[in-house]
Amino acid sequence: MKILIMGAGISGHTAALILRKKLSRKHQVTVISPNQLWNWIPSNIWVGVGEMTTKDVTFDLKKVYKRAGIQFHQARAMEIYPEGDATHSKPYVKAVSTEFDKDGTVIEEEYDFLINATGPKLNFGATPGLGPDNGHTYSVCTADHAEETAHALKNLIQEMKSGKEKTLVVGTGHGLCTCEGAAFEYIFNLEFELRQKGVRDKAKLVFLTNEAELGDFGVGGLHLKNGGFVTPSKVFAESLFVERDVNWITGAHVHRVDESTIEYETLDGKKDQLSFDFAMLLPPFTGVPLMAFDKNNKDISSELFNAGGFMKVDADYSGKPYEEWGPEDWPKTYQTKYKNIFAIGIAFAPPHPISKPRKSANGVPITPSPPRTGMPSAVMARLVANSITQMIKNKSDQPTYEGSMSELGAACVASAGANALIGSAVSMTMYPIVQDFKKYPEYGRSLTHTTGEIGSAGHWIKKLLHYAFIYKAKALPLWWIIPE
Amino acid sequence: MSSLNDAKKYPAPRPTKGTLFLRSFLPWQLLRFLIINLRMTVMIKKSHGRKVSDQHKGKVNW
Repeated sequence: MKILIMGAGISGHTAALILRKKLSRKHQVTVISPNQLWNWIPSNIWVGVGEMTTKDVTFDLKKVYKRAGIQFHQARAMEIYPEGDATHSKPYVKAVSTEFDKDGTVIEEEYDFLINATGPKLNFGATPGLGPDNGHTYSVCTADHAEETAHALKNLIQEMKSGKEKTLVVGTGHGLCTCEGAAFEYIFNLEFELRQKGVRDKAKLVFLTNEAELGDFGVGGLHLKNGGFVTPSKVFAESLFVERDVNWITGAHVHRVDESTIEYETLDGKKDQLSFDFAMLLPPFTGVPLMAFDKNNKDISSELFNAGGFMKVDADYSGKPYEEWGPEDWPKTYQTKYKNIFAIGIAFAPPHPISKPRKSANGVPITPSPPRTGMPSAVMARLVANSITQMIKNKSDQPTYEGSMSELGAACVASAGANALIGSAVSMTMYPIVQDFKKYPEYGRSLTHTTGEIGSAGHWIKKLLHYAFIYKAKALPLWWIIPE
Repeated sequence: MSSLNDAKKYPAPRPTKGTLFLRSFLPWQLLRFLIINLRMTVMIKKSHGRKVSDQHKGKVNW
């Protein structure tokens, strides 16, 4: 059997390694990814403040795959033919090589099972002026972006050392962004670095977010049992912002960015401008541009993908109103209408947001998109890899493992300053990720397993996870002992 | 800017000196390190999905 995985991020790479370990060598595991390097994205925020370099958070995929016995094409998947076509009796994927010496060469790779783990397209184009390539803002979404951000920050700090005052804005560059946690981490690492460099008094920090309130994190916020109270994460987040003197704007959609001004609108419909000297704003995500065709070469992309380009799986896409959302809406097996195609990580289409959907008074949607990165994406990879292994053994088209985001929990460590002694991080666990108000009527989540605290211990854990997950991703001895 | 919340004036709870001290007090943080790791281990154990057949068996038994 031939298992093809599109994408070598956290979910795709995890699935490839697990499949290779579980399946005998008579089965072939192949990965197609446009990137030569694997990137531990959670540490990009440290690259973005100059604490780490690209080298610290990436490694060459080819060497690892060669050692592990995984076939690798450095190529961008373009088209899926799930039924084959006139020239192929088996389903296949058409990809275009991104290797330096083979750039543009078309690759056609047949498969028996396909996993779509292509991750997001960073859609900077959704907001005019957003992004490091054609815009005026920085990003930490890739290691290269983060290095460029660190370089700009270094120059800015030099100016501040000469006495100039600066406004630094961090947050989301569109009303439908996700990964607010990454922006949260970046602003507190930035604040910490400015303190370390002795220029904190020269900086005005502003957190600009599409979250309706701080501490939402795209999961509708959390409730935490603390000091005899059940307290919303909003209170803890606001406390940290106040303690570190970081100003904030919530419920914001950015309309446009020019060289020194961000034009935005908030949920109350008010339009405003924010001047800045440095801005790191995350882009919204779409699915990567992929098309699908049936055996007669008819375009069936809309059957496999939603309007945002994410792949439809076993979720409820009926578009029911917020009041009717339930845990059963979320996919369990990540299988698509084609029984041998799965989508995991950011590539699968969520049925709806987790946070309450909101629009501004002018009708502009301002709602965090659901996060599905990090631990949940790796767990999905394991579930699907286990299912495919069993499906091959059982000669069945029924997945054998399942885990919905309304049944899975997540552990998350959000750095708030990179230093072993005086640094800190917020260590959070939440269970389940998607609220289940049927099982937990009051708050939607377990108060026993939803926790959070800040301290140096969190930083140690974040650093430990950095080394542990890079070790695991390199498939070094006993890598499989480290859980997702 | 009406939409900007000024951190200096915002009425959020502020940590006491004792709380700030504990956040980087080594013995206390070593203990927290162990506790957080334990919590995360529990979360990992609870969050690795399940075999579809196990769930079906469960339904039959119930």
